[in-house]
Amino acid sequence: MMLLPCPWCGPRNVTEFAYRGENIARPDPNTADKATWRDYLYYRSNRAGWEREGWFHRAGCRQFFSIERNRTTNETRGVGTPDGAGDAAHSGDSR
Amino acid sequence: MVRPLTSKLSRRPVKKYSAVNILRQGITRAPWAPVLVPHELRGRYDVVIIGGGVHGLATAHYLASNHGITDVAVLDKSYIGSGGSGRNTAILRSNYLTPEGVRFYDRSMELYRNLAADLNFNVMFAKRGHLTLAHNDGSLRTMRWRAEVNKLQGVDSEVVGPAEIKKLVPYMDTSEHARYPILGALYHPPGGIIRHDAVVWGYARQVSARGVHIHQDTEVRGIDVAGGKVTGVRTNRGDVAAGTVLNCTAGWSSLISEMAGVSMPVETFPLQAAVTEPVRPFLDAVVVSASLHVYVSQTDRGELVFGASVDPFGSYSMRGSLEFIEGLAGHVLELMPSLAKLRLLRSWAGLCDMTPDFSPIMGETPVQGFLIDVGWGTYGFKAGPVSGEAMAELVATGKTPEIIAPFDLARFTDDRLMGEKGAASVGH
Amino acid sequence: MTAPMRLPSQPGEVIDRTVPLMFGWNGRAASGYAGDTITSALAASGERVFSRSFKYHRPRGILTAAFDDPGCTVQVGDEPNVRAAHRRLAAGMDVRAENAWPSLKYDVKAANQLVGRFLGAGFYYKTFISPQRLWPAYESVLRRFSAGGSMSVDARRGDYDKRYVHVDVLVAGGGPAGMAAALAAADAGASVLLVEQEYDLGGHLRYGGAAELATLRELRDRVAAADAIEVLTDSVAIGRYEDNWIAVMQRTAAGVAERLVKARARSLVVAPGLIERPYVFAGNDLPGVMLSTGVRRLINLYAVKPGLRAAAFIANEAGDAAVEDLRRAGVQIAHVADARRGTGLVHATGRGGLRSVRFSDRTVEADLLVTAVGWTAPTALASMAGDRPEFDPGAARFFPTVAELPGGIYCTGGLAGDGSLDELVGHATAVGRAAATRSRVGVAPLPHDPHPALFHGPTDGFVDLCEDVTSKDLATAVAEGYDGAELAKRYTTSTMGPTQGKLEVVNTIAMIAELTGRGIAETGTTTWRPPYAPVTLGALAGRTFEPVRYSPMQPWHSAHGAKPLVAGAWIRPDHYGDPAAEVRAVRSGVGIIDVTPIGKLDLQGPDVAKLLNLLYVNKWSKLGIGRVRYGAMCADDGVVFDDGVTGRLAEDHYLMSTTSSGAAAVWEWVENWLQTEHPEWAVHVTPVTTSYASINVAGPKSRELIARVTDVDLSPDDFGYMHVRTGRVAGVEDSVLWRIGFTGELSYELHVPGAFGLHVWETLLREGADLGVRAFGVEAQRILRLEKGHLIVGQDTDGLTRGFSAGLDWAIKLDKDDFVGKPELVWQGERSDHPRLVGLATVDPQLVPPEASQIVAGGEIVGRVTSSRMSPTLRRSVCLAQLADRLARPGTTVNVRLPDGRTIQARVTDGLAAVDPDGKRMRV
Repeated sequence: MMLLPCPWCGPRNVTEFAYRGENIARPDPNTADKATWRDYLYYRSNRAGWEREGWFHRAGCRQFFSIERNRTTNETRGVGTPDGAGDAAHSGDSR
Repeated sequence: MVRPLTSKLSRRPVKKYSAVNILRQGITRAPWAPVLVPHELRGRYDVVIIGGGVHGLATAHYLASNHGITDVAVLDKSYIGSGGSGRNTAILRSNYLTPEGVRFYDRSMELYRNLAADLNFNVMFAKRGHLTLAHNDGSLRTMRWRAEVNKLQGVDSEVVGPAEIKKLVPYMDTSEHARYPILGALYHPPGGIIRHDAVVWGYARQVSARGVHIHQDTEVRGIDVAGGKVTGVRTNRGDVAAGTVLNCTAGWSSLISEMAGVSMPVETFPLQAAVTEPVRPFLDAVVVSASLHVYVSQTDRGELVFGASVDPFGSYSMRGSLEFIEGLAGHVLELMPSLAKLRLLRSWAGLCDMTPDFSPIMGETPVQGFLIDVGWGTYGFKAGPVSGEAMAELVATGKTPEIIAPFDLARFTDDRLMGEKGAASVGH
Repeated sequence: MTAPMRLPSQPGEVIDRTVPLMFGWNGRAASGYAGDTITSALAASGERVFSRSFKYHRPRGILTAAFDDPGCTVQVGDEPNVRAAHRRLAAGMDVRAENAWPSLKYDVKAANQLVGRFLGAGFYYKTFISPQRLWPAYESVLRRFSAGGSMSVDARRGDYDKRYVHVDVLVAGGGPAGMAAALAAADAGASVLLVEQEYDLGGHLRYGGAAELATLRELRDRVAAADAIEVLTDSVAIGRYEDNWIAVMQRTAAGVAERLVKARARSLVVAPGLIERPYVFAGNDLPGVMLSTGVRRLINLYAVKPGLRAAAFIANEAGDAAVEDLRRAGVQIAHVADARRGTGLVHATGRGGLRSVRFSDRTVEADLLVTAVGWTAPTALASMAGDRPEFDPGAARFFPTVAELPGGIYCTGGLAGDGSLDELVGHATAVGRAAATRSRVGVAPLPHDPHPALFHGPTDGFVDLCEDVTSKDLATAVAEGYDGAELAKRYTTSTMGPTQGKLEVVNTIAMIAELTGRGIAETGTTTWRPPYAPVTLGALAGRTFEPVRYSPMQPWHSAHGAKPLVAGAWIRPDHYGDPAAEVRAVRSGVGIIDVTPIGKLDLQGPDVAKLLNLLYVNKWSKLGIGRVRYGAMCADDGVVFDDGVTGRLAEDHYLMSTTSSGAAAVWEWVENWLQTEHPEWAVHVTPVTTSYASINVAGPKSRELIARVTDVDLSPDDFGYMHVRTGRVAGVEDSVLWRIGFTGELSYELHVPGAFGLHVWETLLREGADLGVRAFGVEAQRILRLEKGHLIVGQDTDGLTRGFSAGLDWAIKLDKDDFVGKPELVWQGERSDHPRLVGLATVDPQLVPPEASQIVAGGEIVGRVTSSRMSPTLRRSVCLAQLADRLARPGTTVNVRLPDGRTIQARVTDGLAAVDPDGKRMRV
């Protein structure tokens, strides 16, 4: 079982976490056209390499955080909290 | 001391499979005609099909047999059937929720039922009956919904109670005291299992015989597009020009489409499966429990084949996990507690391209000549023949057949999502 | 039962001759000693055939005399496929041969052998094709030919267990290398778990000579004395998963049938030793053909004479040692053919057992043929870590490519290379020390000794004894174009059987390589899919830890005949015998229902209103203190996701309720939006679902009842519909009361501190006895809300139902700046062709179309009944339905198809509510 480094709790079994998917910025709901909005809803880059993702420590500190994971090897790096501490690249994941 | 195991025999090879020819071959020792013939990779084909699984090979088959198109290359980065076609649990059914889905899969069942004769290859289709268990009233309501839609499409489906379930599956714990008591099930008598590899090989043998080139160990590394049209593919073995390129891959479908500049509403998840040691036959029906995330069937060899839902996070890793087989075993024993001493022999993972509405994506893309048959989630094997038939028709006629029209890529921007998601969201 | 093949006491024997054990073998009485395996006890008594083979039903005997002996799989009581060459004898065991009918000696299916030349690779694919209608009949016959033991419908699930271990070093394999590595790691200060698949530590030393036994004793004593080493025997590491998560199957464990040990190890030392590889030649499956290690196990561990007259075909020292053991055991040696000197083995013959062996230079009579032709490296655990083993032609075996292994994985012993016992122990010691510090310091690679590459003789034989796959089958597969290693394996099923390829994989690859003219390295590598050894479903499942939740009022429910309803984790009263009467009690008097599972979130902070405005489709900025409002939530795709009421208890303090099934998801949803989109908002979220016991008191007399138990002012002017108050209820402080009306009646929902739930419940029943108060369950509540036309998210909506299709038009406020799902709802609002939630009244009022009945028009499905019941209040059926917009106008008649095939008519009603459409009753 893979270990995921929670920024608050340290490495924990991945079964403690909920996967929230790729980090995708939510478009401005008042200006987005259908194509933009549905791109946000449905389309994913689905890279076979490093991707910044949102995770939720469901059975732990119940904090959302972002982390880079290599989706081919499941290695991780660059963990950060969603409010930006330790991670400038985070964009809100709201699904 | 070490000798070649067989000497090259000059006898005429036996082509047609039949009991008579088995006898004849057994006596004369004439070789069987080869199923796969190696070819040089040519610099151009009319049609290039990426993916040598059941979808790609079926498409090649129906292109050749229904439309006479044989200047076709099927490319696979590994061996034929090495992806989802060889990793699924080989369950066939057509008891879907939406009328479009039911019609589509029912056509596939029809093709599957006649496939052995059609391909002259015994694909070992076994009609076993298919039970989808409901453990709560919400899921029972969804089963009724499916049954009603199925019946309206002429598909045999009905909701049955615990007593009938017990009759069909004596090993099932149908008591009220189970942690997740069984309230009923959707019973679909035409459902069954098949030998998945045989389907792949049967199609491969037919298309090879018709002159289609199957290239194994041939990996597509780029797709050329000029002026909005596809012009060919680049592979590890050289470039191939083609006016029509089909993406018939699973697991890597968004990576292939990306090569043509086509984005996809797809996320790839591993799906694990496992098989037990063989035991004497005791389970006829295919049993599915959505609430417990497990499906079970017993093969003709006596092994139990288990599957489950996709892994909880997206990944291209096919390593498999212990927690998967732990959960699987727990759920199987919830259903059938007397199987505790049965031993699990092997587990493996495949990759599933999940779409937002739990339905595939078939048809044209913004790039002319680049066609897709992807997004097959956990239900691709069932659809192999019908999507092959329909994709072949699309290639040959340039028109999208009605049976796959609802599954087009544009539905995600045009707000025409398929309702299978309805079943998924309330069926837990 | 006599034991003609039992030898006098052997120095390393593991049997206890003072403890004889009786057991049953195919219904006959048999005996052995404690420490015997089932196979060794039977072999001592002269038994040579233990099973019939998978496809041809050929008699099979002992090959390896260990767990993976393909011919020694038996049924023991209700347990199928027991490895008889590993399983220790127990008194009273009922052991039966598998795959044999009517008996092991006369198996009618052995007729398959006669037609064997027609049953080659791909046989099934090539026949039974036409006429197609006969295939089901063929198939049912084929199924009867399937192999393996029998399940029993009455078998007990049994007790299994799991254990978690955190350890510095896990050593997989307790042979000399494993023991040495464990000792070195422990010396370096590491905690060590040493896992050995046999019942005792020692590996091949156990069946060695005096020198080996001396080393074994010394190593065992040192391991026993090392406090930091925990030893698990009869245990096998079945899988290595990410971050050195290692699964160990403990097959013998105190108090339970088996135990799954899950270890997180900083380092993993893989030291499984080597598996002896069989040789392929005609007759290689005859009872009496054994591997040298099998012979040595029988003689030295179990004091069993493997045969009377032996021939040998050997290419290494293990073979020499086996011949020596045979001599010592008094077995006549007919001939020893040394493959190192170029002698060949042609074939073996016999009926039901070995009779004669033909070598390249002579033919000898023998009932035992020992082969020692080389080894297979069980690289499984390293492979599972991503290693791709490479073939060394000089050593004729695969080796893990250690350099590529990820951190924390080490290989030692025979897997890593060759050498004397001292050299191997030296390597293992260095490895153990390195593993303790997670370095590679001081580990020099072991050499690879040359070994003849021997895979098969000049005749065709069995490559896979589990699956009855012959070398001829492989040749057929390759000739037909299945010429890649994976394709050929799949086509022939070679390596797919219960030994999982441990004996067969290298021979299979070697032969495919030879047939295709490619090298072994080019052809493929050994792939190992977990688990490394078969593992019972019982052990994987362990005990069932699926908690259920009961409300504090459960004792009362149980005592009053509540029919349980499983609703996710909660067990709720569905009804107390007569749901219709429960409905009537609420409509005419007062009823109480336990609604504890309703999700409850305590929200505090200055920005709660902003949060509510974002998450709900309606407006919250102006919700006054003491007010309650209904809200519906959509996801960003506009699909309805949950609903409930939220009340404002104080300036910065709100209590949110959710659906019971959505409680966990909404909590997560709220946190997600707060943490990822609006971390600047000051809102503190506390889940309080189970902190409160919740009771809905409903009915025209509910005010009268509540008045008797609270000091809160209930006058309608002060505490009106959709208001919230806090106060004392039945003497319980800090209770929350909100006046809402899911049932359509005047009602108060009480949330009282959980510990007082039963007290408040019983007080209400006592105080309301003269009012006719009655408990009602989930079913009555569903009827009541349906009569009132209130939707249930997930029942009257589905995974595609957006707000305007859920009858929420009145609630959705598109003029809000932002809320989750807004754009899709804007676009949905601009269209008019989406389905609508409507009420239906059947033309025949006594017909209740079952839920999920389809509404059809012109052969098309245009909607479905989402909720339906016979209304005890109106004495007619009431329904909600999702219906195509064009048919959704009130008064429209639609056709409803019932599950029995009948079509009935129903009219779309004016509004969703059938009872009290004006909402007067709940506002009194």
